[in-house]
Amino acid sequence: MDVAIIDYYANHGKSFLHKAKAFWKIIFTALIIASIIITNEFYLLLGIYIALVTIAIWTKLPVTKILTIAAYPAIFALIFALASWNGSWLRAGVIMLKALSAALTMVILIVTTPYPDIFNVIRPIVPKIIAEGLFVTYRSVFILLELTDDLIKGLKVRGGITRRKYINNVKNFSSGIGLLLVRGFDFSEKFYGVMNVRGYGGKISSGNTQKSISRDDVIALIIGILIFVVSLGTTIEKSLLEFSFYILVFSIIALIISSIYVQFKS
Amino acid sequence: MSHLHIPDGVLPGWLVLAGWIFTALILAFSIYRVRNTELKRKIPLIGIISALMIVCMSIPIIPVAYHINLSVVAGIILGPAVAFISIFIVDLIIAMFGHGGITVVGLNTVVVGAEAFIGFYLFQLFMALMGRDSIMWSSGLAAVISLILSTSILIGVVYVSQINPEVVIGIEEGHPTEDTQEQNIQEIPKELVKGINIKSFARTILILLGIGWILEGIITAFVIKYVSRVRPDLILSEGA
Repeated sequence: MDVAIIDYYANHGKSFLHKAKAFWKIIFTALIIASIIITNEFYLLLGIYIALVTIAIWTKLPVTKILTIAAYPAIFALIFALASWNGSWLRAGVIMLKALSAALTMVILIVTTPYPDIFNVIRPIVPKIIAEGLFVTYRSVFILLELTDDLIKGLKVRGGITRRKYINNVKNFSSGIGLLLVRGFDFSEKFYGVMNVRGYGGKISSGNTQKSISRDDVIALIIGILIFVVSLGTTIEKSLLEFSFYILVFSIIALIISSIYVQFKS
Repeated sequence: MSHLHIPDGVLPGWLVLAGWIFTALILAFSIYRVRNTELKRKIPLIGIISALMIVCMSIPIIPVAYHINLSVVAGIILGPAVAFISIFIVDLIIAMFGHGGITVVGLNTVVVGAEAFIGFYLFQLFMALMGRDSIMWSSGLAAVISLILSTSILIGVVYVSQINPEVVIGIEEGHPTEDTQEQNIQEIPKELVKGINIKSFARTILILLGIGWILEGIITAFVIKYVSRVRPDLILSEGA
C-alpha cells in the first residue's frame, strides 16, 4: 500500500474523474461493485475488468502502478480459488476477476479522490467517534510514514538491522514499532489538541463541496449505470449472456483506442 | 499476513449482510461502552493505533502479502471496545486500497476484531496468572492464541458460506428430497457448481499463516515490552 503516492495522485490529477465530486464517484463505485458481485459470467467480468483498466487510463495516472496496487488481493483470491477448485478454470477465473475488479474499482476511487472528500461524504452516516477516528487516522498515517522513514534510516545507520542477525533484527524492529507508537501518540495528541483549539468540531473542510451536478459527475454516473445495467440485464435474462463475448470485444477495442488516444494527447 | 482478508465476491450476499449487521451491533455496543470516556484522549489513540496498523500492513516482511497487523497490540492498549472501533476504521481504509473487499468490511472486522478482543482478555488472564513481570510472555502468547482462534473463526465463516440459508430456515416450497437434490446437481454445468473445499481451504491457510502467527507473537511481545517501559500509562490503564 503506497499511501503517500495514492494521496499524491488523488490531489494532483487533472482527469474528469478527479474533477467529479466525491459523492457521485462513490455512487459510480457502488454501481460497479454491485455489477461485479451480481454476475458470475467469466467473459462479462473480464469485460468489466478491461473497462476498468480503460477508466484507469483515462485518469492519466501511471496505469501500471494503479494495476499493481489493485493486484494486492490476487493472493487472497487465489487461496479461495484453489480451495474451491472443481477442475474448471472458468470458476477460478471468476473468483480472481471478482476480487481484482472490485479492488481496481476502489483504487480508481481513491487515486482520483482525496480522502477527506470521501470521509465528508460518509460522515453523516457514521457515528462521530468513527468520523473523527477516520480523519485522525488519515492524518496520523502521514505522521507515522515520516517517523518510519527516520526510524528505518536510524536503525540501519546504528546497526540495528544487520544481515544474519535475525533475532536481533526482530527485537530492534519491534522496539522501533513501540517507539513509533509512543512518539506518534504524542504527535497525534498535540495535533488533535491544536485542531480543537482552532475550532475543529468534527467537520473537515473540503474544496469540493458544490451541490450541483457537473458534466464530469454525469460522465462518471453514466459509465457506472451502463456497466450496472449490462450486468443486471445478463443476470436477470440469461439469454443475454450470449452477448457477453461481444461486450468483452467492445471493452478490448475501447481499451486500445483509449491507450492510443491518451498516449497521443500526452 | 497473520490473518486472511476476505476479497469481494467470494462469499454469498446473506453472509456479507450478516457480517455488516453483526459489526454494526458490536460497534453500537462499543460506542455505548466508551460514551463516558473523554474523546480528546481516545481519538488520538484510535488514530495512532489505526495508522500504525495501516503502516505496518504496508511493510511487507516476506514478499507476497506477508505483513504484521498489530490487532492484539490494539486490543491490549485500547481495550476491546475501542480496539474494535479502531479495527473497523482500519478495515474501511485498507478496503479502499483493495486490501480486503469493501463489501466484506463487516466480516473482516469481525475476524480481526476477534483477535483484539481475545488478545485483550488472554493478556489480562496471563498477567494475572504469571504476574506483571511476564508482560512479554503474556502479550506474545495472547497474540499467538488469539490469531489461531481468529483463523478458526475465518474457517468457520467460509464453512458457513456454503450453507444456503433458505434451505436451513425452510423458505423453499417443500423440502427437497435427496433424489431431487441429486438431480438438480447433475443438471448444473460443472463450472458453475459452487462450494469451497473446506479441508483444502483450512489446510492452505493454516500452512500459510502458521509462520505469521509466531512472527506476530514475537513482535507483539517486544512492542508491548517497549511501550510498558517507556509509557506504562498507555497499557492497562484504559481498558474500555
